[in-house]
Amino acid sequence: MVMLPAALAVPQAETGKRYAMLIDVNKCYGCMACVVACAAENNVPLGNFRTWIEQLVKPDGSRIFVPKQCNQCDDPPCVPPCPTGATYRTADGLVLVNDELCIGCGACIQACPYGARYLNPVKGVADKCTFCDHRLAAGLLPACVETCPTGARVFGPLHEDNELSRTVHSRPVQVLKPHTGAKPQIYYISLPDEVNR
Amino acid sequence: MLGYYYPNEAAEPLLWHPVLFAYALLVSGSDLLILAALAYLTGSLRKAIPLMTMLGIGFFAVVLAGPLADLRSPHKAYLILTSPHITPSATNPGISLIAFQVIAWLIALILSIVFALLTFSYYAHQASLTSTGIRKTIYQAFSLGVKTPEKYRKAEMVAKGVAVVMIPFLTLWGIYPASLFVAQTWNPVWRNWTLLPVIYFADTFVVATALFMLAYFFWRFREMERDVIVPVLKIHAAGSLSVAALTGLQMAVWWFWSPMTAEMVSPLTPLMYAVIALLLLSFLLSLIAMRYPATVVAVALVSIVGTFANKWNIIINGQLISKTGLAFLEAELEGLWFLETAAPIALGVAVFLLLSLVFPLEVREVGK
Repeated sequence: MVMLPAALAVPQAETGKRYAMLIDVNKCYGCMACVVACAAENNVPLGNFRTWIEQLVKPDGSRIFVPKQCNQCDDPPCVPPCPTGATYRTADGLVLVNDELCIGCGACIQACPYGARYLNPVKGVADKCTFCDHRLAAGLLPACVETCPTGARVFGPLHEDNELSRTVHSRPVQVLKPHTGAKPQIYYISLPDEVNR
Repeated sequence: MLGYYYPNEAAEPLLWHPVLFAYALLVSGSDLLILAALAYLTGSLRKAIPLMTMLGIGFFAVVLAGPLADLRSPHKAYLILTSPHITPSATNPGISLIAFQVIAWLIALILSIVFALLTFSYYAHQASLTSTGIRKTIYQAFSLGVKTPEKYRKAEMVAKGVAVVMIPFLTLWGIYPASLFVAQTWNPVWRNWTLLPVIYFADTFVVATALFMLAYFFWRFREMERDVIVPVLKIHAAGSLSVAALTGLQMAVWWFWSPMTAEMVSPLTPLMYAVIALLLLSFLLSLIAMRYPATVVAVALVSIVGTFANKWNIIINGQLISKTGLAFLEAELEGLWFLETAAPIALGVAVFLLLSLVFPLEVREVGK
């Protein structure tokens, strides 16, 4: 199990809110409500996913479900390769794509260690999870968080006092592929080692 | 544990299509221009400079046609020039190698054209004296006002300066897109192919010299001159041997120091063996061709097949290995992908043929 010391996991002082998400793998039972809610909210084309759930089958037949999506990294590997600056990072820590500037070269998709990006066949641009920034602007939670029936997904600003920041600072949490140095901001509880391939 | 599934990777495993594979030939244009510049600076291989320059410009001018055809929004391609991500900022940290290379391409292409015009200036003047109509006007324009041997000597000095400046920009292209693969992607194969930039650099010299030999053979046929073809064959032989050795070395590095990577790239190893065998064969044939120049066609074809296999393995098969490193996916090639891939190469040949109508492909000493 990759245990990430909380002090290392949490990014340094940010000018904005530094949004993050916490996913408790123990609470996910693979209902796909988040996947459907995301697709409906964001017009995700058929065959593509902004969030998806990986399924692991243990030797005893029991299953573990691991929701995944863009990790909104603090040091996002997808931003530098973008030739036009279409992929950018906001003060709140969101990594977004400016559709007007994106030429659909795919460099950011190749650069993402998590396979979290795809080329939107309808718009001809790179696409990914935005933490539902349009909903955040309206004071709402991301669609996947609001829909989750077990509360496996917790969302909020990392530097404010809330359930997410308290958990990240007090409990052992993990992130995906920490060796990439991307400083992902999706934190997991009870993440199996095998997921970090 | 079993049962991994990465939907986003499965949705489009082959993100960069075979049209990008046209780079295998087109990037070699930069190496032809490097060779031409080095030959000009050192005073060696002078007879080969015009053909190298024209072939080099022909291919290098259209090098971006492959990636352009692979863009999902090609109508916005101009944004790379008008909004290039080449300076880091808070919202856009880092710099984009793609944007940097496009600007390097533009600078190198302009410098190469200036280099060609300067080196051909006096010949253009001489040609203008014997031609009529539109050709005369073209030659007069291309002479840049160089009408005497004295002025040509000054033009040569400037051309040498241009040659020095253009070499670094062209070298950047010699190791591209390998530098992008290694530095700015998280493809597990490319990321672990640490010798890729060096292999690409040597590889493009192999393709460049192979192209030169083919063009020279079809142009001069039985009148090939040994003092032109033998030095080119030596460069080709060295390049072929280097690529074969570096590919073998990379495999050895994986086996001895990174068994996990060796296991991951195992679907790629049969073609790597084939590449090593073909380039070693090309090396041996080069030695034979130094004695029997008519066999250069065989040398060129064997090495082109070898470098094509190498590029296919790296660019196409490399993408088919899942980001988890656990799966080798199947390529789904659609439509007329073969013609799409061949089109940029054909465009390069067309530009070369067009240039050869205007510029001489052989050098004549000043005054002759």
